[in-house]
Amino acid sequence: MVYAQVARDIPRANVIAVEDLQRRLLDAGYIADAGLATSLACAVNLGRAVLLEGAAGVGKTEAARALAAVFGARLLRLQCYEGLDLAAAAYDWNYSRQLLAIRAAEAAHAPAPDLYGDDFLIRRPLLAALESPRRNGVVLLIDEIDRADDEFEAFLLEFLSDFALTIPERGTIAAAHPPIVVLTSNRTRDLHDALKRRCFYHWIDHPAVEREIAILRLHLADSPAALLADVARASAALRALPLRKPPGIAEALDWARTLELLGAERLEDRFFEPSLGSVLKYPEDIAAARNAAGDILA
Amino acid sequence: MLAARLDAALRRHGVRAGTRRAQTFAEALAALAPATRAATYHIARAAMLPSIDDLAAFDAAFDDVAPGGAPLRPPDAPHVHVVPQPPPPAETPATPEDAAAAPLQRVTASLAERLRERDFDTFSADERAQMLRMIESVRVPRELRRSRRRRRNPHGDRFDLGATLRAGARTGGELIRRRTTSRRERLRPLVFLLDVSGSMAPFARALLQYARVAARARPGVRAFAFATRLTDLTHVLRHAGDAQLAALLGSAVRDFGGGTNIGANLRAFNDRYAQRGVARGGTVVILSDGWERGDPALLAAEMARLRRLTHRIVWVNPHKRHPAYEPLVAGMAAALPFVDAFVSGHNVRSLDAVADAVGYAIKTP
Repeated sequence: MVYAQVARDIPRANVIAVEDLQRRLLDAGYIADAGLATSLACAVNLGRAVLLEGAAGVGKTEAARALAAVFGARLLRLQCYEGLDLAAAAYDWNYSRQLLAIRAAEAAHAPAPDLYGDDFLIRRPLLAALESPRRNGVVLLIDEIDRADDEFEAFLLEFLSDFALTIPERGTIAAAHPPIVVLTSNRTRDLHDALKRRCFYHWIDHPAVEREIAILRLHLADSPAALLADVARASAALRALPLRKPPGIAEALDWARTLELLGAERLEDRFFEPSLGSVLKYPEDIAAARNAAGDILA
Repeated sequence: MLAARLDAALRRHGVRAGTRRAQTFAEALAALAPATRAATYHIARAAMLPSIDDLAAFDAAFDDVAPGGAPLRPPDAPHVHVVPQPPPPAETPATPEDAAAAPLQRVTASLAERLRERDFDTFSADERAQMLRMIESVRVPRELRRSRRRRRNPHGDRFDLGATLRAGARTGGELIRRRTTSRRERLRPLVFLLDVSGSMAPFARALLQYARVAARARPGVRAFAFATRLTDLTHVLRHAGDAQLAALLGSAVRDFGGGTNIGANLRAFNDRYAQRGVARGGTVVILSDGWERGDPALLAAEMARLRRLTHRIVWVNPHKRHPAYEPLVAGMAAALPFVDAFVSGHNVRSLDAVADAVGYAIKTP
């Protein structure tokens, strides 16, 4: 039976336990629930990518940053967009430098220089991620993969299977220590299943009220606790409305900061309307929130 | 083994996780050695859940293989599934020139002009052939999208230093000709999904004719008919004769009338075709009156999915020809939020509006 062959034998001592990782993420200023911590632990321990999906502003990118902080790793971020090509994602040659080297060699009547040496290679995030000096030394964040196109997804498929890149002039470069790879998606489109199969998967939901209070406290330690609790509850209430853009954690943080600037100790009626612009970004949403003000502040 | 059993249970619940995920799960179990059911659940979810949409089925499957225990998701964390809000559908006028047409022109309109304005469901079998020939003159949109691939182009917009240097090697290191590249452009796929049930049949026949004209004029056109089930008509688009097409449509309609299960058909299309890339980055034209016999919620969910898989969705509903039409049918109301353009497509002239809704970019290859 195929499942019986557990492919890789991971030395017990090197395994990072889920609770351990969760605690270290907290130390790095990121509150991960059990599900997210498990997905990240799986990715780290098995050397496979993790795909984080969720609405904008629930802390997908932040998770990768925190992961890098936990391991003291270098964070390499690749922002995806339609038209992302190899020269921007993997590597490029420094042509002007090559040109100057030719001219310099000519002027000195020296033999032609090697134009494909290290000096002329520009390392973009994917290539740089292969050159981790140690285990867990690099976190590669491939941000908003849903914005890239099919061709890039297909290329990524290869990259994620072998953690190797072939440069025609140089040969194949394989990673001695595979990077920790975090992909994020806002789910504006579905990804190919072939790509998803190669990743651990976690859907990040908007946080529960208690967790959101904890997150707000972590970031705004000096703000009145009662105000932060009010903001967390009101944000949850806003997310229950049919809004075009429900507020994420980033917006809740902005809201709390704005309210503090306005001198609020609690989220009272008189602060509600003036501060709405910091948490909702569409006039229709603001109107909807105004209509439901009674329920939100209750 | 747990991984194998969970894979089988998932399949029973309609989720195809696959052997590769099961293998990953087995490895993760070996590495992390979870002590509790909850810990096992989270590992299983990270490894085996293909998409958040499958969560309910996944939870049920996990309960099957690891029965007992409290609910695993904290009750205070509501499962909010955010579907990106599409812009409201553009109200494309059914017949752009209608309103502006002067009365005099109306009076002197030729027979051809009258045919152009006659509704598809008013033709007799004899007249239909003439109408179908007229459809051949409707413009076929060739909507292009820019690919990320670049190609050599002497008049391109980006200087290609690498190619310039390589060319320079042939002329003794002198850089004589400047090399540039430009983006390659690709034709967007065009897919027709035609509801052939009941009163839609004459309109489906006309739109299928249009699909055929399009398939002859350009690559990347596909057509599907649905009533009781989804039928791929692509292979007959180009070569079948009129009689054969009519027969095919007839066989798809058999024993049917008054609404169809649009959501289930759309799901079949998404599963079997769209998900695999048939319509990726393309435009889907759906013909239906939105008379949904199944659950409108399923239709909405599948429309949301289709939207994520395609560039544009054009909905053709002949009932829209009536000025007082309002999308009151549950299926139509459920589908509309995901539609980019909503047009009537009820006569030859209004097919121009369909072509416009698909795309304006007219270019010859």
